[in-house]
Amino acid sequence: MSSRTETTVRPVSRVKNTRFLMKRNIYGSWLGLILPVSLILLWEYASRAGWVAPHLLPSPTTVVEEMAAMAQGGELLGHIIITLYRVFSGFIAGALAAVLLGAATGYVKVIHQLLDPMLQALRAIPSLAWVPLFVLWIGIGEASKITLVAVGVFFPVYLNLTAGIQGIDRKLIEVGRIYNFTSFQQIKKIILPAALPSFIIGLRSGLSLGWMFVVAAELLGASQGLGYLMVYGQNTSAPSLVIGSIILFAIFGKITDEILKRIQSKTLKWQDNLENAS
Amino acid sequence: MLAVDHVSRVFQNGKAGFKNIHLQLQRGEVVGVLGTSGCGKSTLLRVLSGLDPQYEGSIRTEAERPEEAFGMMFQEPRLMPWLTVLDNVTFGFSKKEKRSQALELIETVGLQGFEKHFPKDLSGGMAQRTAIARSLLSQPDILLLDEPFSALDAFTKMQLQDLLLSIWEKRQTTTLLVTHDIDEALYLCDRIVIMRGQPGQIESEIFINRPKPRKRGDAHLGELKEEVLKELDFTKS
Repeated sequence: MSSRTETTVRPVSRVKNTRFLMKRNIYGSWLGLILPVSLILLWEYASRAGWVAPHLLPSPTTVVEEMAAMAQGGELLGHIIITLYRVFSGFIAGALAAVLLGAATGYVKVIHQLLDPMLQALRAIPSLAWVPLFVLWIGIGEASKITLVAVGVFFPVYLNLTAGIQGIDRKLIEVGRIYNFTSFQQIKKIILPAALPSFIIGLRSGLSLGWMFVVAAELLGASQGLGYLMVYGQNTSAPSLVIGSIILFAIFGKITDEILKRIQSKTLKWQDNLENAS
Repeated sequence: MLAVDHVSRVFQNGKAGFKNIHLQLQRGEVVGVLGTSGCGKSTLLRVLSGLDPQYEGSIRTEAERPEEAFGMMFQEPRLMPWLTVLDNVTFGFSKKEKRSQALELIETVGLQGFEKHFPKDLSGGMAQRTAIARSLLSQPDILLLDEPFSALDAFTKMQLQDLLLSIWEKRQTTTLLVTHDIDEALYLCDRIVIMRGQPGQIESEIFINRPKPRKRGDAHLGELKEEVLKELDFTKS
């Protein structure tokens, strides 16, 4: 061919690049530790030097000792397990309902017009306002607490999922139509994967709201759980219990969010964003 | 191969779209549709591909299942960003069954070694190559190309035009190419249909009897270009 200007292009090896990146990431996570560690050291020093009253702010070592003592009796584990159980059941129930309703309202316009205004209005109700009603309806048992967590998880997941579905590029939908996809194929092959990024963002903010709501539920009426432990600590003037519970909430909140974050970066490595830039 | 019989599709009270299009494609023929913007040439492809079902007239193909007769390629690659190059090429089909065929096509379009790359890692030209491979996988009777290279730079455009020529040489795919690039139409097509007006109608047809591959600077093509420009005459209403 007379004017052929074909050039052969070859993918370049990226091994070097990723190794450099890994080094930088490890370095970066060390950097993130500097501030909290120095704050804990300062706190410990302040307690030992007597700058703060121990009945208001016990030293970190006291908190750890106290929690360790509780853990040895097996009592702490029970509180942790019941709280985790409430968060997870509520999270799964809320996320599942949000997926079903979000997919329906996102994909079928009539359902959107029918349901969305009501759901948006319900969202405006402050979370704690539900508590008396749930207690009245389903009693003070596990069900009312799980329902409260589920309500908290539902809205961010629902809102992000519908926004994700409505934001899908019409041009990609048209590709599916060229292939004569059925509605089901269209949902499975184009809509769900395209809405996945905002869905996962919804799951992450849903999870953090789930933790918030479990504290609310346990503060208001529970005989077990980390939130109950905080109330108990308050009533018995044991600040180390309160602080210990706060720290445990922080640890478990971080761990569960990290799990979702890992899933996010693993399933979304195709995204053309700053995080994936190399 | 394809018979378009008095097909019309108008919007906005008959001020846009196209009217009364009569067009026939022979097996293996490459026909270009040229026209100024707004003459309904892209709408024509949307109607043919089934994206726009609200037309009048009849469209006949020789395919057993008419809805599978057409393969379509757009101005943008429209790749699924969450799929690798290989998965994009096999999109809509079972990956197992079509794998070897897809790999062959990827090699044809010059992307071997990029099978596992995501679209974000491809250049515009490479993405459009992937789209070419995808549109060919179903082995469509008729390939519809909607200004496929208009978003690419001049050199990439020439490379991909040559790629199309070599694909046609190998597969003899019947093709309808909508473009606003006169040189592209003259370089690639056996016949050029010129559309004018709002709603657009077929103004004239020009046959190009030069064997392919042609020289881009061919004097005869230059004369034909004059003719096309005269037909498109932008001052004439």
